[in-house]
Amino acid sequence: MKLGIDIGGTFTDLVLLEPDSGKLFFGKTLTTYPDPTKGILNGVQELLVQHGKSIRDVTTLIHGTTLVTNAIIERKGAPTALLTTAGFEDVLEIGREMRYDIYDIFIKMPEPLVARSFRKGIQERVDRNGNIITPLNEKQVITVLQSLVKKGIQAVAVSLLHSYANPSHEQKIGAILRKQFPQLAFSLSSEVMPEIREYERTSATVMNAYVQPLTGYYLNQLDSILRGMGFAGKLHIMNSAGRLTTIAGAIQTPVQLLESGPAGGTMAGIFFGNLVKKKDLVAFDMGGTTAKASMIRNGKPEITNHFEAAREKRFKKGSGLPVRIPVIDMIEIGAGGGSIARVNQLGLLTVGPESAASQPGPACYNRGGALPTVTDADLVLGFLHEDYFLGGTMPLRKDLAMAAIQKQIATPLKISVEEAAWGIHRLVNENMANAARVHIIEKGLDPRHFSMLGFGGAGPVHAFQVARQLNAKQLIIPAGAGVLSALGFLVSPVATEAITSYISTLPSINWKHLNKLIAEMTAQGKAFLRNAGIAARDRQISIVADMRYAGQGHEINIPIPAEKLTLASISTITREFQAEYRLRYGRDIEGIPIEAVTWRVLVSGPTTSLIPKQAVVGNHSKALKGKRKVYWGKQYAITPVYDRYLLKPNQLIKGPCIIEEFESTTVVGYNSTVKADRYNNLVIELL
Amino acid sequence: MALQKNKISFNAIELSVLWSRLISLVDEAGTTLQRTAFSSVTRESADFAVVLMDTRGQSLAQSSVSVPSFLGVMPFLVKALIKDFFPLKEWKPGDVVITNDPWLCAGHKPDIGIVTPIFRKNKLIGFIGCIAHSPDIGGTLWGAGAKDYYEEGLYIPPMKLFSEGKRNETIFSLIASNVRASRQTMGDILAQVAANDQGIRSLHRMLDENSIDTIDELGKQIIQASEKAMRDAILKAPDGVYTAEYEADGDGLKEPVKFVCTLTIRKDEIEVDYTGTSPAHSLAINAVLNYVFAYTAYPIKCVFSPEVPNNEGSFRPIKVWAPVGSLLNAQKPSPLGARNVTGNLLHGPVMKALAQAVPDQVQADCGAAVWVMVLSGKRADGSEFVEYLFLAGGYGGRKGMAGAPTLCYPTNVANVPIEVFENDAPVLVTEKSLLKGSGGKGKYPGGEGQRFSYRNIGNTPIQISNVTEKINHQAYGLLGGESGKSGKVFVKMANGKKRHTPPKGHDKLLPGEELVMELPGGGGYGQAK
Repeated sequence: MKLGIDIGGTFTDLVLLEPDSGKLFFGKTLTTYPDPTKGILNGVQELLVQHGKSIRDVTTLIHGTTLVTNAIIERKGAPTALLTTAGFEDVLEIGREMRYDIYDIFIKMPEPLVARSFRKGIQERVDRNGNIITPLNEKQVITVLQSLVKKGIQAVAVSLLHSYANPSHEQKIGAILRKQFPQLAFSLSSEVMPEIREYERTSATVMNAYVQPLTGYYLNQLDSILRGMGFAGKLHIMNSAGRLTTIAGAIQTPVQLLESGPAGGTMAGIFFGNLVKKKDLVAFDMGGTTAKASMIRNGKPEITNHFEAAREKRFKKGSGLPVRIPVIDMIEIGAGGGSIARVNQLGLLTVGPESAASQPGPACYNRGGALPTVTDADLVLGFLHEDYFLGGTMPLRKDLAMAAIQKQIATPLKISVEEAAWGIHRLVNENMANAARVHIIEKGLDPRHFSMLGFGGAGPVHAFQVARQLNAKQLIIPAGAGVLSALGFLVSPVATEAITSYISTLPSINWKHLNKLIAEMTAQGKAFLRNAGIAARDRQISIVADMRYAGQGHEINIPIPAEKLTLASISTITREFQAEYRLRYGRDIEGIPIEAVTWRVLVSGPTTSLIPKQAVVGNHSKALKGKRKVYWGKQYAITPVYDRYLLKPNQLIKGPCIIEEFESTTVVGYNSTVKADRYNNLVIELL
Repeated sequence: MALQKNKISFNAIELSVLWSRLISLVDEAGTTLQRTAFSSVTRESADFAVVLMDTRGQSLAQSSVSVPSFLGVMPFLVKALIKDFFPLKEWKPGDVVITNDPWLCAGHKPDIGIVTPIFRKNKLIGFIGCIAHSPDIGGTLWGAGAKDYYEEGLYIPPMKLFSEGKRNETIFSLIASNVRASRQTMGDILAQVAANDQGIRSLHRMLDENSIDTIDELGKQIIQASEKAMRDAILKAPDGVYTAEYEADGDGLKEPVKFVCTLTIRKDEIEVDYTGTSPAHSLAINAVLNYVFAYTAYPIKCVFSPEVPNNEGSFRPIKVWAPVGSLLNAQKPSPLGARNVTGNLLHGPVMKALAQAVPDQVQADCGAAVWVMVLSGKRADGSEFVEYLFLAGGYGGRKGMAGAPTLCYPTNVANVPIEVFENDAPVLVTEKSLLKGSGGKGKYPGGEGQRFSYRNIGNTPIQISNVTEKINHQAYGLLGGESGKSGKVFVKMANGKKRHTPPKGHDKLLPGEELVMELPGGGGYGQAK
């Protein structure tokens, strides 16, 4: 059996899979603080006992956690030092010299993770070709480290200029650290992110060192506790690119874990897409505070190397600490069930990005929240029902929702409470659709050709209108939408990506050198998979180059044939590049040489082929729970309400209707049909 | 929700939804442009703007990431086009107008404006336009060095680049034959045309979905709401005439410049008059009035109404004037190439004047303008390179917050990574570090400047074009805060001795020579204890 565990801010989600039968068992428990392993143990035991299973039957356990993200946001990592090339100690603080908000005079830039007194320059210098100009002063390294240890540091980041071209100085410092300072955790930039651009590389390396001690402690502890319970299988960790790594891999580069939860969502999206035979999807995830959207093309996630942690302003690009690691490309906007609606200084309605979160929460939670939120609007409109939120375990107060909307929105705008609620619902959908549309256009794609997958607590309530705005023709609400990330863990492959910078235009590539680099990276990946217990026959190797027209600043990822490369490969690579460039930008350009910047080799294991068991057959005649008044923009309409668990597979229902389940409610609007497929996914056609 | 045709007004909900959609659609167009542009300034530094306008050329929405230099500029251009070049009846579906006229556009020739009319049901309903920094426009290399306007490259008067959908091959050929890197330059012009088309498609979709056929009423309501917000904010500031004098380097040698800024707050309006400012300069640092408006309105907007989206209404309460022929209202044939250094200083006098009225809402002076250093020459293999470097000084202190070190203001440009710089040009960077103690002392000290130095490690001289500032002046402190330290620029020769290099202008960096730059710190805010 495989077990997926996703630790979120509020809940720890669990999914247990019985591979032979395809049966899935879901569990949810509160995340425990300060030690989340307690919650994990509770949840695991509860789930196993409930279904009469034993921990000994679990062959693979896959874990994703927000530990790394939180440690950076809350600045709870280890006291960390940074060693740089002498004269460049401040690169980390200088950053890119650009503001993330051009109108805010009172802008606050993110504080570097390493303070000045812990940043030390080392005498050494390597040039862009990797030639040593100034040899490493090893004696100085030792003296500097001794004095830093006296100051109480526990981790060291090493980031020297051009170490991606020649890592030998960093490796020598690594050897000194290993031998003479075994108590210190350390990260070398040539291992964490061997790519050109010193600020971004240093930032990623520092972040990695900063969270290494904490991650090591946590994962080792979790491992030993699980073993103590009798667990004898493999423990894998989810990373930000939708790939699984080992404990050793996770401890070596914990920055790779930053976005493991959201990555699980997209990977689950791919899985469901495959089930319903859709290879091109927009995965739309809306929770309490944020909404996220990611693109799935040809059954694969879109990967980007641009990511920021711990933003000063959560939804402002550039306000965080950059980490160039592979992550699933997502947009995140401040739109969730808890997003607060206001009337602004212009007399207009705004929704988000501020959120009432779970404390005090929406007004209808009756926990002291007085400001109207998206959930309050959904309740007033009739999309949600006061007696069936989280399956009725959490009663809502419609009167409080109405009062909040009346006071804050309807009265100042001189409109009815329903019109105000409809406005909130419509505007938050519009905001999400606008952000998704810009994201899709950035990739040169057309939203009309994509099906949408809606999940997360609030996703099914809003996905229909967002799909409408994007002109998508089909919307799928998967089963188990409430624990989708954990499910995504179960269907992700074990994989590792090796990276090397080798900047050259295609005609001037030294093919022998390149083949050697690729062979080395491939060998690294194979070794990693071997150690993770994956058989050689199950592994796949793919090569990708980040390429651009010489002179451009953005690269695009181009698949490279996995074979011995020669001068003759130029024509294939050029064709691939031009095709991708045309797709994204609508044209290609003749007469400008194509340049490769970074080479990546991805070695991955198999993906679990899982067919979930057909839904338990219930009494279909009771699927129609009743009818209720729902406000659809102009007036109320009596709208049928169905129980998702009792829907008869493949029976077509006309919109509008409401479909309720434990974790969420699916809203289906006018001019549409909906049916449950044999896996209990809701498939909605927008006509 | 379908709206009735020709409906006379939109309620708050409709207005909220449609307004955010308009901003989103100019952002979609901007994204298209930014992703396809070759010009590194357009791409990396968002040195572009896309603007949607009504049939009178009034701006309704501007792309949200663009730098300040384009604030309010596009409407000036379209209004001038309608008035002096192409009256409304001469616009046909499929037309596209191009110009880089510095007086109509953004103050120097590399900024190319492209305007496309929007037709719906055969009726002209508005315009969409974009301005972007072109990869090249011919003439001498970008910098302060040109002697006059004519040395600064090709001038493109307002002309139809496309007439009713047909390419005007004469113009295409003329431009392509007069610029370096013509493929990139022509490619970027077509990217601008495509960006406008993208915006128009999205606008039609929005109008279809909502069953409306014009944007006039929507525009009117957007402009009114924005204007009211701006006026309300200004109204809270005390009326008065606030004067500030501000001196700057000019050429950094014998010809400094002086700005005199008389800022009048009268009820809900602000008028800025630069009478008393120096005459046009012999170096190419002269600015046209459009550009001066943009960089004057920008700090005012930061202070009073940072949250309101950019459109006609935000700028209606602001009037800007500078004497004809002065540094800030330059006329032909004054050279304009590095007008950015002048525009980037205007927040200095404006904030200094505003500090007298609203001291809690301003910042102390920044170690601006951003230094722009252009290098060109040959690599060891004989290939040519041109490299642009942007360097920021310290940010000014503000009430309750120290200034950040090395942060761009008012423009917003990223630095070039050291490793990228060394890959592009035959140089070795010898230092990039914060200049400790260079920020002005104060309760909230100014941010630190930086030292940046590099050596020519090639075998041939490197041509350099320097545009520095605050070598002879300092970023002022406010309310008892001290000034930041001045900057320095010099060359360290191979024998270790220092030599002079012009703070603004051209020089040659010989093999083995090292250029050392020390960027000024920001001013402090409030008296230090």
